[in-house]
Amino acid sequence: MHIASRPQIKRSRIAAIVAIGTAVGLALAGCAPAGGGGSASDAATITVWHYYSLDNQNAMLDQYKADFEAANDGVTVENVYVPQDQLNSKLIAAAGTGTGPDVVVFDGYSATTLIAGGVLAPVTEKWSAFDGASEIAEGAVTTVDGDVYAAQGYVNTLGLYYNKTILDALGLQPPTTVDELEEDMATALAGGYQGITLAGQPDVQGAFQAYPWLTAEGFSYDDPQADALAAGFERVRGWVDSGFLSAQVPTWDQNVPFSEFMNGTTAFAENGNWQLSALASDAKFDYGVVPLPVGNGGRIYLGGEAEGVGAFSKNPDLAWKYLEDTFYSQAGQLEALKQVGSLPTRTDASADESISADPYLSQFAEAIATQGAPFPDTVIPSENNEAVITANGQAWSAALGGQTSPQQAADDFMTTLEPLLKD
Amino acid sequence: MFLAALAVFPLVQLLRLSLSDVQVQNLHRDWPFIGLENFINGFTSGVLTDGLLNTLVFVVIVTIIGLIGGIAAAVALRGTGQVTGALLGLMVFIWALPPVVNGSVWKFLLADDGLFNSMLSLFGLSSFPFLYDERYALISVAVVNAWAVIPFNALVFRAAVLNVPDEQFEAAQLDGATPRQEFWYVILPALRPTTLVLGVLTIVYAFRSFDFVYVMTKGGPGASTQTLPYLSYQQAFVGYDFSAGAASAVVAVVVVLALAAVYARSVLKEESE
Amino acid sequence: MSSSTVTVATPRTAHGRRRTRKSPAAIAIRIILAIVYVIPLLWIVLTSFKDKDDVIGSSTAIFFQPTLDAYRAAFTPELLAALGQSLVIATTSTAIVLAVAIPAAYGLARVRGVLPTIGLSLLIVLQMVPQTATVIPFFQVFGGLRLLDTNLAVILADAALMTPFAIILLRPFFRAVPPALEEAASVDGARSFRIFWSIVLPVVRNGVATTATLVFLIVWGEFLYAVNFFLTPGNYPLSALLAQQVSSYGINWPGLMALGVITSLPILVLFSFTYRLLKEGLTVGAVK
Repeated sequence: MHIASRPQIKRSRIAAIVAIGTAVGLALAGCAPAGGGGSASDAATITVWHYYSLDNQNAMLDQYKADFEAANDGVTVENVYVPQDQLNSKLIAAAGTGTGPDVVVFDGYSATTLIAGGVLAPVTEKWSAFDGASEIAEGAVTTVDGDVYAAQGYVNTLGLYYNKTILDALGLQPPTTVDELEEDMATALAGGYQGITLAGQPDVQGAFQAYPWLTAEGFSYDDPQADALAAGFERVRGWVDSGFLSAQVPTWDQNVPFSEFMNGTTAFAENGNWQLSALASDAKFDYGVVPLPVGNGGRIYLGGEAEGVGAFSKNPDLAWKYLEDTFYSQAGQLEALKQVGSLPTRTDASADESISADPYLSQFAEAIATQGAPFPDTVIPSENNEAVITANGQAWSAALGGQTSPQQAADDFMTTLEPLLKD
Repeated sequence: MFLAALAVFPLVQLLRLSLSDVQVQNLHRDWPFIGLENFINGFTSGVLTDGLLNTLVFVVIVTIIGLIGGIAAAVALRGTGQVTGALLGLMVFIWALPPVVNGSVWKFLLADDGLFNSMLSLFGLSSFPFLYDERYALISVAVVNAWAVIPFNALVFRAAVLNVPDEQFEAAQLDGATPRQEFWYVILPALRPTTLVLGVLTIVYAFRSFDFVYVMTKGGPGASTQTLPYLSYQQAFVGYDFSAGAASAVVAVVVVLALAAVYARSVLKEESE
Repeated sequence: MSSSTVTVATPRTAHGRRRTRKSPAAIAIRIILAIVYVIPLLWIVLTSFKDKDDVIGSSTAIFFQPTLDAYRAAFTPELLAALGQSLVIATTSTAIVLAVAIPAAYGLARVRGVLPTIGLSLLIVLQMVPQTATVIPFFQVFGGLRLLDTNLAVILADAALMTPFAIILLRPFFRAVPPALEEAASVDGARSFRIFWSIVLPVVRNGVATTATLVFLIVWGEFLYAVNFFLTPGNYPLSALLAQQVSSYGINWPGLMALGVITSLPILVLFSFTYRLLKEGLTVGAVK
């Protein structure tokens, strides 16, 4: 059955043309441009892109919005949620078309990536004219090539949570050294409890929680040594072998292990201050927190979100004013403290007695003062930040999962790290 | 035409990216051409080799279980009763759930205190490391992925089974064929063409699937469940090395291109018949 | 091409009198399927009725105080708006995909030679471009066309994503249409578009309905484009609301599961409507 092909081609072409005509008609009929003018098209609107998903985080943003709108007649603040794993790529994609929000609230450790991607506007002059600038801790400010781009309104960090009910039942005190921690975990295990929960996922969350234990053994990015790294991996892998730590740890992000801790059968948890409000409302046991027992050399990363002005804001001055009055102000930082338990970066806010009088926040504040380290480390060339962090997370996960020996994981990571540390 | 351009444009960009050096700084500027360097780096460091091997294991498991499971379900569900309808509805419901829901559920079910290990402990067995042992994690994720495609394949296969003329079954039954013989000599031959199309679609799906890896293991433990699509995502959107990410994706495209050629050949053959 | 392909055009399932013998193997498979699909679903539904604290931990796996909190929290004005958006986006994208894929598949089924083969291979390769890799190029295109933050951007992106898939699925149906049918019509003097419209299309309506259903279902669940091309979340469809439940600061499991159930329910309704069509029409390749 052979049919000459020409007429058929013609036939389908006609059909195609008709079809495309229909398609365009349908498309136009179906889609009136959506309302709510996105990126700063409206002079009196400030668009804030963020990835806050917890109720208390959104309550904080709503409060900022209400305060700023009340103080500035005719101004509207629009808080726009973007899922965390989409925010950076959406910002970078938007920058390519010359668009973007007025204010960006982003993961502090992505700052250099976003600056390289042209997402943030330099605010050097505004910063030097800002009264509160001197109050904000220097480490919380992102400066690239002499230009200021963003600052963190608060920091988040890690501490060692303990289940006081369990510790009391076993007659234990919160540990101050890693040896004490291991003894306590052994006692807890013998008493029918689990030892500790922490994150072991091969990504930034795992790397964030690995750092204290690696630095405790003397590892640093200034002078990275495979032996120190291996010792850190070895120690925590040992907890898996001894049964202190679940073998599932390579699948744990920062949330699941904390939920396990909240069940009340685990003595300790390495986790962040952002979990405090969940504990306060839902814990069915007594709890406490101390700095991670990582000795003098041990360091904890200072995480949290940074805030800056979008490079394509139509109203950068108003956007800056919003930041000055909210994330960067004393009142704004205390609001974040109250709502979320975030630790302020302003000295006049962190001196607030609501921190020193709080048995939990004061511990985190102490940890920041004695152990805090910039995240990611400043010696890493900024364009390699993510590559180093990911490789670190993978080595951590591989060592904890027993995929490779601690020594092998350390050597693998060193091989990846060396070229990345050279600019 | 616009749609065609829209569909092809990303492919062209992907190829260009894979041959250039593009980081976040120059994504929106010039893309310096560097030839095959991204591929050479990927293979010499072993990242691409491991990713490719993981992907092949993953694809084989998803395809085999997906197709066999689909056929089995289709044959078992070829009636039109209420139970059949309910079971199919259940499967479609599951298929329509997003991977983040399905993947999370399986992550919970396969955890140490999850349902499967709780059942094992009832029999006095110790926990099975479904997701955190490098030997089993990839297989577990692949099987869950196969589980997620079976409903689609079952629906398509089932329709093909229903299309077998009644007379053929009647004739077979008159000849005294057992259900097993019926399956081998009546149903299976009728499914051959469907299997070809579904095989291609399932393989392509398996080659590009990264959601379940993302939700269940994040590529871990270590890099043992890092498949090419996950690797590509991670390089491009976590590490912001867009050209390395593109190169990883292109490796998968090339493998599929070979498969597409096989498919195209069989299409040509079918036409000359 | 043998004449047996004609049977595809007239599916013969509706008699209801089909003789299916249930072998032990078939019963075993049914039981396995039921277990393997009921358990996760049960887990999803149970979780959606749990309090946040009861999600993790074996003591509350089955016995817990059920609560409607997650559903109560999910039923907001945004949910209705998102449902509307999902309907608009999924319906329009499906219409566009069909409008393009039907003639294209028809053409690819009718034209012979090397060209359609290359075309088919290209379609398969196009499927391989990771969706994440399409976001940035599309963003540039839509930014240039000033389409960002409109439904049209998401619809066009979804259509571009699904059209190759639809063509591959549709093509065998058109190949099953005997060319003799068209020849007869053209001898009668019918014009080519009329032939296509009134003779070919009715014969392949099952295939079209099937493909349409599948495309609709997939677009319904697509969220990456929605999250990226809408600059304001007020326009998000259901699938994008769902993506909102996950973050490194904590995942609201009951909320996620409840939204999953809510998102998937319309699909179940659609499926029960098209159940008959699907069971007759999903014969992609029962065709040579």
